[in-house]
Amino acid sequence: MTVAERTEAGRAAAPPAPGPRSRGPRTARPWLLLAPALLVMGGLLLYPLFRVLVLSLQDFGLRELVSGRTAWVGLDNYVELLGNADLWTTVLPNTVVFAVVAVAATVVFGTLVALLLARLTPVVRGVVTTAIMVAWAMPAVTGTYVWVFAFTPGDGVVVQALGALGLVDAATANPFAGRLSFFAVAALNVVHHGFPFVALTVLAGLMTIPRELTEAAIVDGAGAWRRFRSVTFPMLRPVFAVVTVLSTIWDFKVFTQIYLMPGGDGVNRGVLTLGTWSYVESFAQNRYGLGAAIAVLLTALLLVVTVVYLRLLFREEEL
Amino acid sequence: MRAAGKWLGVAGVLLFTLFPVYLMVVTALNGEANAGSRTLWPTEWTLQNFAYVVGDGGFGRYLANSLVVALGTVLAGAALALLAAVAVSRFRFRFRTSVLVMVLIIQMVPVEALVIPLFIQARTLQMLDTLAGLTVVYLAFSLPFAIWTLRGFVAAVPVELEEAAYLDGASWGRMFRSVLLPLVAPGLVATSVFSFIVAWNEFIFALTFMSDDQNYTVAVGLRRFFGQHATDWGAVMAASTLITIPVMVFFVIAQKRLTDGLVAGAVKG
Repeated sequence: MTVAERTEAGRAAAPPAPGPRSRGPRTARPWLLLAPALLVMGGLLLYPLFRVLVLSLQDFGLRELVSGRTAWVGLDNYVELLGNADLWTTVLPNTVVFAVVAVAATVVFGTLVALLLARLTPVVRGVVTTAIMVAWAMPAVTGTYVWVFAFTPGDGVVVQALGALGLVDAATANPFAGRLSFFAVAALNVVHHGFPFVALTVLAGLMTIPRELTEAAIVDGAGAWRRFRSVTFPMLRPVFAVVTVLSTIWDFKVFTQIYLMPGGDGVNRGVLTLGTWSYVESFAQNRYGLGAAIAVLLTALLLVVTVVYLRLLFREEEL
Repeated sequence: MRAAGKWLGVAGVLLFTLFPVYLMVVTALNGEANAGSRTLWPTEWTLQNFAYVVGDGGFGRYLANSLVVALGTVLAGAALALLAAVAVSRFRFRFRTSVLVMVLIIQMVPVEALVIPLFIQARTLQMLDTLAGLTVVYLAFSLPFAIWTLRGFVAAVPVELEEAAYLDGASWGRMFRSVLLPLVAPGLVATSVFSFIVAWNEFIFALTFMSDDQNYTVAVGLRRFFGQHATDWGAVMAASTLITIPVMVFFVIAQKRLTDGLVAGAVKG
């Protein structure tokens, strides 16, 4: 916060505006500057968050949408949600297991790529980094369609390749039908889209480790795994913490990548996640109240992760 | 042996990262994509898919819609975020930290939680099915990240430069225009690119808000090529290529600057 303090000092030294009322505008100015942004964020992010909480306590269907009436039902939506067997056997396991597996795969793969990048000559590293950037920039919508295309039952190129290797029967295999294979394809898509952030962030961290430290470990006879475990990982613990938590937040609320896969839009109820279930319940079934209750549950889960994230972040800044 | 492993790794990463882009472009250029050809190297190369998509496919309209929404988001977002960033990095005031923490937390809110209430709000305000309604929503989504990033760029401008302007008799407004604005311009470009990408790629709200296909943006317009029984993959991939390429070019350009800005923000607080 040193810059801010110096700014304050600088502003005090600057010629003050004339007149006895100069005190007023000075305290008001930051709020005037902030007002438009706060108004937009408050009206379109904070207020809707409050509205979704209110909606989850109502029976809000097509009739209420048209007439504008409200029908309070207390906690009925939550009772129905928590009493629904699908939540415990399908939706919650899908959401949590998918997020955990996708995050683990993203962080491990991203770290391996970062370690590889750190060992390359600058020119090769530049080429590989650009390729990674291209993967990062791929929009979720088009990326998902390409993976769906590659895994199309029967003649998708990946299905054919797996068939040629004898791993699946290319003629009958449908990766989108089974719950496990559906989420395997989704995880591949999410890792492809998410690992670049981890790789480049960890690489930036690796660059800050003093070379002497690694050399000393080599002199002591430490192998690659031992060096990673005893030098690199402890040094980069905060970096790993932040990329893990951020990936968790992103993978928990993955929506587009699931919704656009065949059956992901609610047709195949076995592959619903909290995000898609909330959407389908609201906009396909017109049960906005129940949809809002599911959304609140998802938000609450994310809030827990966010609190962990903030604690990590501020502990790091204290250092 | 070690060198071989390294090159194997490089080849693997290149293959994995570039495979989807390659498959997309090659299918878009495949003259037989609609006849069920699924190859990595087409026998018949053509631009026919692109011509169909932009012409009869009506994708030109969606590209124009997306461009309007994205540019609106970028312009309004740049102005609002810059003002807010100056406020939090150049002034000390009560609740400054609270505002910053709120900006940080608000980025974590899942869009699925917002789409239901915002749909109802937009319906009440007659903003459904309008490009303006979509622009305002995207503006709100892009602001937290833009403010958080620009804050670093503003903090990196030496206060002495501002003081010199005051000594020359400049008012705060004059200093803002002639000193601060030119110096944070690179940061403004970088955050604008990201706001553009947010608006250009967004899917759920475009899907929920737009019912008239004249108002579709590119992300939703793509669904048009999915038939009930057969998918026109040549058209889907040609349209996907048109959506993806500008984003990739922007992204690679902006990334360097953005990383610099984030680092500056981290160091200067």
